[in-house]
Amino acid sequence: MGRYIIRRLLSLIPVLLGVSIIVFFLVRLIPGSALQMYLGTQVEATAEQMVELQRLFGEDKPVPVLYVEWLGRIMTGDFGHSLRTGRAVLPDILSRLPLSLEITLMALVLALAIGVPLGVLSSLKQRPFTDITIRVTGLLGLSLPQFWLAALMVMAFSGFRGWIPMGNFISLWDDPVKNLRMLFLPSLAIGIGLAAVIMRYTRNSMLEVLQSDYIRTAKAKGLSRRTVIVRHALRNAILPVITVAGFNVGYLLGGAIVIEEVFALPGMGRLALYAIYQRDYPVIQAIVLLIATLFVVVNLITDLIYALVDPRIRLDEKAR
Amino acid sequence: MNASRFTKNPIAMTGLAIVLFYVAIILVSLVWLPFDPVAMDMDLLLDPPSFKTGHLFGTDEFGRDILSRIMSGCAVSLIISLGATALGAVAGTLLGIWAGFLGGRWDHWLMRVADVLFSFPSLLLAIFVMAILGERTYNVVIAIGIVYIPQFARISRGAILSLKNQEFVRAAFSNGAGKSYVLFRHLLPNILVPLIVQVSLSLSVAILLESALSFLGLGIQPPAPSWGNMLSAARKLMMIAPWTAVYPGLAIVFLVLGFNLLGDGLRDVLDPRLRNAR
Amino acid sequence: MKRFSFPLVVLALMLAMPALSAFAAEKTLTIGVDQEAIGLDPNIVTAFSSHRRIDLLYNRLVRIDDKLAIVPDLAASWENPDNVTYIFHLRRGVKFHNGREMVADDVAYSLNRVLDPKTASPGRSYLATATSITAMDAYTVKIILSGPLPSLLDGLSSNNLAIVPKEAVEKEGNLQKVAVGTGPFMLKEWLPDNSMTLVRNPNYFEKGLPLLDKVIFRVIPEQASLYAGVKSGELDMATISEGAIVRQAKKDAKVTVMSKPGINLRTFGFNNTRKPFDDIRVRQALALAIDRSEIIAAAEFGMGQATGPLPVSVVEWALPPASLPFAKPDFDKARKLLADAGYPAGFTFKIVTASTYEGGLAVAQVIQNQLSKIGVKAELDVVEWGVYIDRWVKRDFDSMVEIRGGSAEPDRFLYRTLHSTGGVNNFLFKDAEVDKLLDQGRALTKNSERKAVYDKLQTVLTEKAPVIFLYSPMENQVMGKKVSGFKQVGNGSIFYLSTTTVSN
Repeated sequence: MGRYIIRRLLSLIPVLLGVSIIVFFLVRLIPGSALQMYLGTQVEATAEQMVELQRLFGEDKPVPVLYVEWLGRIMTGDFGHSLRTGRAVLPDILSRLPLSLEITLMALVLALAIGVPLGVLSSLKQRPFTDITIRVTGLLGLSLPQFWLAALMVMAFSGFRGWIPMGNFISLWDDPVKNLRMLFLPSLAIGIGLAAVIMRYTRNSMLEVLQSDYIRTAKAKGLSRRTVIVRHALRNAILPVITVAGFNVGYLLGGAIVIEEVFALPGMGRLALYAIYQRDYPVIQAIVLLIATLFVVVNLITDLIYALVDPRIRLDEKAR
Repeated sequence: MNASRFTKNPIAMTGLAIVLFYVAIILVSLVWLPFDPVAMDMDLLLDPPSFKTGHLFGTDEFGRDILSRIMSGCAVSLIISLGATALGAVAGTLLGIWAGFLGGRWDHWLMRVADVLFSFPSLLLAIFVMAILGERTYNVVIAIGIVYIPQFARISRGAILSLKNQEFVRAAFSNGAGKSYVLFRHLLPNILVPLIVQVSLSLSVAILLESALSFLGLGIQPPAPSWGNMLSAARKLMMIAPWTAVYPGLAIVFLVLGFNLLGDGLRDVLDPRLRNAR
Repeated sequence: MKRFSFPLVVLALMLAMPALSAFAAEKTLTIGVDQEAIGLDPNIVTAFSSHRRIDLLYNRLVRIDDKLAIVPDLAASWENPDNVTYIFHLRRGVKFHNGREMVADDVAYSLNRVLDPKTASPGRSYLATATSITAMDAYTVKIILSGPLPSLLDGLSSNNLAIVPKEAVEKEGNLQKVAVGTGPFMLKEWLPDNSMTLVRNPNYFEKGLPLLDKVIFRVIPEQASLYAGVKSGELDMATISEGAIVRQAKKDAKVTVMSKPGINLRTFGFNNTRKPFDDIRVRQALALAIDRSEIIAAAEFGMGQATGPLPVSVVEWALPPASLPFAKPDFDKARKLLADAGYPAGFTFKIVTASTYEGGLAVAQVIQNQLSKIGVKAELDVVEWGVYIDRWVKRDFDSMVEIRGGSAEPDRFLYRTLHSTGGVNNFLFKDAEVDKLLDQGRALTKNSERKAVYDKLQTVLTEKAPVIFLYSPMENQVMGKKVSGFKQVGNGSIFYLSTTTVSN
């Protein structure tokens, strides 16, 4: 097991290297540059100034040279400075990470809290009507454009203080109550879609498990319905749900971008969006690398959980 | 696949009905629209919905009829959705089959690339691709198509891998059957089911992605109506003219819901594991 | 335990009272803006959002007041011994935020920093002809030019030529993240994309000012949220650019709306080297098809004023568009001009525009509509902002909708925009008559003489139509009823927050 983990972690390196090369060259293909945007249409720069500006904005050397220099600096932990604000990139990203993580986690929790019970309920009800209602509601959640939902929320809740962060974000450490209240709506907007997916997986998983001999044995033993459902069926059914949740972290992060924009939250998603708009290469490169790393790690963890618990299920099947 | 099972499934049928309704709207919009979707009416800027003016869904900030714009935007959205899904499905499936067949190190690295692509929040990836290619309508199709490749690749690769070593496949090969023959005769039918389901879901997500891209200003550009860019323009007007945002949003919601119901229903009908669920 | 705690609580409250009441008396104004500042170094920044913070943190030699007149700022008075020499007498006792007194050496240092190519300052061209800037004594600065530059004072009022302390620049490399100015407010805390807190400068040289103790900037990209914030009281004030929302706010009794035409100009410009725009008749035909009032109504919901080549709010210099040629649409004449030029059936061309920032997408759509009435088909080339700038830099367009920053002084704006050697003349317009008039306007020193030149120039420019000047957007501030004492300046400056206060 240990060797497996190490091997997977080592495979991280070529992946990240490849990602960094691709991103480095691709962003420079986008027309326009941070220097151009800095000058805009109002500023006249002399030839001398342009030479200096090009040096400041990192446009004075051929791209492969710039890449090697950048790679070298990364090894020492220096991710450079934003072309727009001049601030160091890594501290800026890291300072926004907690907010994005918090929203993602809250969205995940909300999605599970809504999706799992509904999924279980839908799998148990023998009356098709309830089942269909719940399923359609779930799919409705998946059909809402997140930014539309977010914009409607902002419109509806702007009048109430504290529910919409008006450029006044309060971190968890400063005031947990205000913080949670402020992030509730954005997390909900992101999580609704995932709730629908989780609901469906829970339902299917439960249906499958409920048919198994394992459950019939439990019922035959005379255990109460509730015990059967919660302690036995759900425990087995929950596994694929968790792996699905893990795989959908990417979806949550993506949703976070637009939600952060609409709710005006200073998170990583917005940083990434503006960095692309403003051709802020060092920031784009750093964020991309971070996301790729994060994902591969999350992927690894999810796979491990799956592998860990898998043998148990197989054992049950053999017991038939 | 049993046709009667399909017609008996209320979810699948409702989904189909909704999708067909939109297709009907598209067909109608080709010959008739209440108003010209790009005609500006300076006297009726940002007018609320009313029967009197004939603008059933109201007008936008240029006095253009919202209902007509929704109807003509329908075709655009559907075409992009179909195009992107087709692109992603074909490219992804081929990639997955190739990886599965070749196995070994090719498989390993191709899947790593697919994984990294998959790891990216789809919207961010699409934004990136659009930024590089530029905002043209066909680039939206390409961008969303690229986002889908890993998902389809995964499906086809998984199917290939599980079948590669099965008895009947080895038997077919030992009987002298060529690779392509085995592919079409045995492999494809097996991935057809998850593929179909994935396609219907991708169709729905494509519409959401396109509207998100347009909302951010990176998708279809005005004055061509797209539901996404209508919402983008409505963003600042929502407080004072909610109809500019509500109706295009609802149009998106119901079409996406239609595809989702269809996909979910198909999954019900086609998935052997659930066949005996009740 | 219980017996002990009650008196303790009372004691604690009594001790806290003065602190609490002092806190309660503190006057804070929270202002909502839609963009985060990108750096705070006045000599370097280009973004409007940054300029708004610098309005409060730094001072320049002179500034523009709410009537667009040049008034003293750090320079108490000045004189021109001849038309290439300026001598400024500085105020005494002005302190930087780090405690040191501001003296003439600081002025010389700052302005020379702007001239230094290594600084790459966007304000450099405002001092273009300066050959020497020296401190004659502790409170006198002399600027010598190589040739007359009537726009010098106007240029010196720009934030890019604000006065900074040498030791702060040398210590930090640049002043992007810190603020050490002489302004009415000091930087206390900056949380990017979140909020920026400024506190009162107790040593500010205007006695009794500022009236506020704290100013907090909140960055909220949604215009509707800004309005909602002012209504709910979470914001005291917000700068709102969206015409539709301003129109709504004006009907709202709970808020006050201040609107003033700015000195920016919305333009529809041509690449004068591309067919068919190299033919003056074609350009004039298009000018005759444009209806400014319609554009203002649709694209800005009425929040704008039609303008000619000079921002219409600069009443001292600008001729109102009604007195200039092509003021009203005339489709027949337009079609005839097109036919004469060889396009009786019209033609097709592209307009480059963007949906964000100053890209003018709404304006472009209305123009497209209007031009179709004379048979000209305009296709919108809608691009993302970064690409928009790229196309501008490369001069790769048929036509473009832009916003140009005007000036209160005609030479500063018109020369660089329309002279054949002008630094932002992306219209690639070369005309001997226009060049001559621009050079004349720059060389003359008496405003009465210059007025005649610029009057003629505005008429000539409208006739030749290398670019069609459409309107000046309004500057809008929406504020709650508790706010008073604010005055708008046409260039968007919020300097008058120093005379603003909130009632409790």
